Amino acid sequence: MLMQGVANRLGVVFFPAFDWAISPTHPERQERLLYTMDQLKEEGVFDIPGIEEYRPDEADLDDVRRVHFSFPDTESNLTPSHLIAAGGAIKAAKLIREGEADKAFALVRPPGHHAMKAVHGGRGFCNVNIEAIMVEYLREYYGVGRVAIVDTDCHHGDGTQDVYWHDPETLYISLHQDGRTLFPGSGFGSELGGPKALGKTINIPLPPKTSDEGFLHAVDEVVLPILEDFRPELVINSAGQDNHFSDPLTDMNFSAQGYAALNQRLDPDIAVLEGGYSIHGALPYVNTGIILAMAGQDYAYVREPDFDPESLRQDKRTSKHIHQVCSQARQNYFQPPESGISRNMEDGYFVRSKDIFYDTDFITERQREHLLDCDHCPGLLLIESSSSRLKNCLGIEIPRGACQRCRNAGQMYFDKAQQNESLRNMQLIDRPGGAFRRYRRE
Amino acid sequence: MLLGIDVGGTHTDAVLLDRSGLLASAKVETRQNDLLQSIHAALGRIRDVAGEVEVQRFNLSTTLCTNAIVQEELGPVGVMVSAGPGIDPEHFRIGDHYEVIRGGLDHRGEEIQALDLEQVEQCTKRFLDQGLHVFAAVGKFSPRNPDHEERMIRALSDRAAFLTAGHWISGQLNFPRRIATSYYNSAVWPLFNEFANSVEHSLGEHHLSPQLNILKADGGTMPLSQARRLPVESIFSGPAASVMGLMALCDIEEDALMLDVGGTTTDVGVFAGGDPLVEAESVELVHRPTLVRAMKTESIGLGGDSAIALNEGQCRVGPRRLGSSLACGGDQATLVDALNCLWEDSYGDREASIRGMGEIGSGLQCSGEEAAMRVVRQSCRSLREKTMAMLERINERPVYTVHEFLESRRIEPRRLYVMGGPARLLAPYLSREFGLPVVVPDNSGVANALGAALARPTLQAELFADTHLRNMTVPVLGRQESVSRDYTLKQAKRDLSEDLCRYVRDNYHWRVDESEAEVVEESAMNMVRGVHTVGQDIRVKCQIKPGITPDYEGVVKCLCKELPIG
Repeated sequence: MLMQGVANRLGVVFFPAFDWAISPTHPERQERLLYTMDQLKEEGVFDIPGIEEYRPDEADLDDVRRVHFSFPDTESNLTPSHLIAAGGAIKAAKLIREGEADKAFALVRPPGHHAMKAVHGGRGFCNVNIEAIMVEYLREYYGVGRVAIVDTDCHHGDGTQDVYWHDPETLYISLHQDGRTLFPGSGFGSELGGPKALGKTINIPLPPKTSDEGFLHAVDEVVLPILEDFRPELVINSAGQDNHFSDPLTDMNFSAQGYAALNQRLDPDIAVLEGGYSIHGALPYVNTGIILAMAGQDYAYVREPDFDPESLRQDKRTSKHIHQVCSQARQNYFQPPESGISRNMEDGYFVRSKDIFYDTDFITERQREHLLDCDHCPGLLLIESSSSRLKNCLGIEIPRGACQRCRNAGQMYFDKAQQNESLRNMQLIDRPGGAFRRYRRE
Repeated sequence: MLLGIDVGGTHTDAVLLDRSGLLASAKVETRQNDLLQSIHAALGRIRDVAGEVEVQRFNLSTTLCTNAIVQEELGPVGVMVSAGPGIDPEHFRIGDHYEVIRGGLDHRGEEIQALDLEQVEQCTKRFLDQGLHVFAAVGKFSPRNPDHEERMIRALSDRAAFLTAGHWISGQLNFPRRIATSYYNSAVWPLFNEFANSVEHSLGEHHLSPQLNILKADGGTMPLSQARRLPVESIFSGPAASVMGLMALCDIEEDALMLDVGGTTTDVGVFAGGDPLVEAESVELVHRPTLVRAMKTESIGLGGDSAIALNEGQCRVGPRRLGSSLACGGDQATLVDALNCLWEDSYGDREASIRGMGEIGSGLQCSGEEAAMRVVRQSCRSLREKTMAMLERINERPVYTVHEFLESRRIEPRRLYVMGGPARLLAPYLSREFGLPVVVPDNSGVANALGAALARPTLQAELFADTHLRNMTVPVLGRQESVSRDYTLKQAKRDLSEDLCRYVRDNYHWRVDESEAEVVEESAMNMVRGVHTVGQDIRVKCQIKPGITPDYEGVVKCLCKELPIG
């Protein structure tokens, strides 16, 4: 193989889970990465100097418990494939931190970015948030601090946003099709993060028919300047591939060339596959493009058989709209508007209520979230949750870097909650203590 | 009677055996520039011992094609490639005559762009004007649909002395490897073909008319007629010959390692549950990976003649070979000299070894014996570290299903088989270093020739069926036909097993039972469009695996006595 010399050492953790599906004809089915595998093998991608293929690790249940409150318990909300997908992301991160690779791509399934902090089942084909599990693993074992997650899946990554809503150390930027036109119907510019992490959640809702030009504009004008300011230790790309012009579930006009160019400009340390369901016409080419771009190799000839740049060109109105969205998003980071923030307070806690719908498992959930307004740390987090499947659950998180007062308060709440007859299921995530406690009332 | 010859880098080994056991063996030096003469000489030695014999089968393992490729003594080849979108095929350019034709298939084998026949015509003309008569035609995704390759072949075939189509080589997907392997196959053909003629002639001079087979890198044989079509399959047969030799000498039933300690290098082979590990695509030549199926072996740059060098108070062994050991009249101390110091029943000039190690010892401020001990221990450690790294790579190979991820078995060697010149002297130290019992088989000096003699045919083929498009192909066997919508995995497995056996019977003159065709990979996945299942994607890989010729199993089995650990 006479590709150019090694530019980046790229580790690809490829796990297509050929024996796993949500249901036989579900988009998230066995066949999803079959043609991607064929394309990668036929292109000889893993023979290119610098590109290595790796087997995923298997995440263990504590890796999941570090991130999620999972009701009734962690085991019953996942399958081995979820642990391997999360383990694939962890493997990718390890390759980087152990210096075995310069960049890594976890090409794994099932995806994770719709899984929120509290989990009652599957949402948007996701049960556990594989990026969050990876990031918290890195923080636990590799002392990583500031992380930026740039989510380029076509659907708003409401799960990742929710997990990091209150975390000022995690910048979450999502580029997606406008929530008024697509699941999950969120991700508007006004969603900016919690009161302690204002501007660390940035949403860039793009109009339908956004093409390469629009995506790259958002990357150049919004994402890159923000990353430069935030100075993360690691940049992670939630690399959903459903912005593709041939995707059956969405309405965008992104191409393999566009995806490759985006990765070249964004230059993420780690990419993790999310959605993308045009399994014949898009994924084989998009994944080849992303891998070549991440490895610093020539991708100029990677294009879909039916690629026609003329028919995908975005019209003037769309461009204008994108420019407005982008300048607003930029402002949201550099001068976040105080007015947009919910500052409802109860007894020194910030409070917000949420209704959540689990489309994959058909569950509804009602949540009330309390964050202690602490001057010394990110603050103790309490989530009261009832779903159509399980009522009266409570999650308590003592966050990373919690002060002694919040640590004590968290332990006290957990002990007290056990005496509360009306609560059925309580979970405590104690990050400073490295402990996960559970209590179930039969 | 069976005759086996392994033409290696340093020695050419020959054995003659019948059902009662080994009748004669011979070892001569290989003349790199005249391999035929080396074969001739080895054959002469055998005849000196055995006299007039009737040889039914002659299996030959030769470095001819490997050398030609590594030393770039290759004939000119016109390479015609059709690619379609993806990585720019210019990156795969090989040889002096490489042309890319417009046209392309997608990953299902469906045409995205028709092959530009006019361009094919012009290219053919250019090749002929350049005086070329050996060609290779390779299309991207040709194992899914050989149509573009076949069209290129048709255009070239009238004027060709020899040609290779990519899908004849393998049904595996890997376009750059397919290009390189097809090119090499054509480029070594003139040399190989002439060599084959000469060998046949030479046998005639010895009044022998055996069935002549060539050993492949996967430890199996192919008849000469097949080798003339796919000479590239003969590359890297040497390590495979050693592995087969070990199988002939010892009953291996568990996970085990083979260390074949040669002069310059040590070849490592791996057994899983008694079967040698074969890799579908592994042989790499001058940094070009190929699709030649090969035994999973690795060559470590450390052997009996590896020179000992002193560097800042530390001694290093290998990877260089600067000549033979002091014991054999060389002028640089080697691993063999170190071993010679530690053993009474040594060979060659032991005094020379002791003198040499004494000098090394004075450089290290220790006795010669102490220095020898350090050298041997360090060599064993180096062999263990490299072997364990290889095992780790095997155990960590990617898997693609949850089932495989959870169930795949790690290879954990229980025994070490050591062969080659210094095997007996090195064995106890290797045993201690690896923490494993060690076996040094008898006759391990000619194990490679025994392996060649006793190997039997192997063949692998892949079947791919798409019941939505209603087609089925078995690229290497040249089968391509329509199937019904309800074609099943079960039928596919039966079809492929039958085809494989028929092919071996017809082309390899070998009686093979269908039970010997082993399915090594199988999958059937529903293809869904929208919300409807429209068909199945069926894939089967089947092999006739390497093994010892059935009638001769056990004829050279040795006691394989185990040395206790350390």
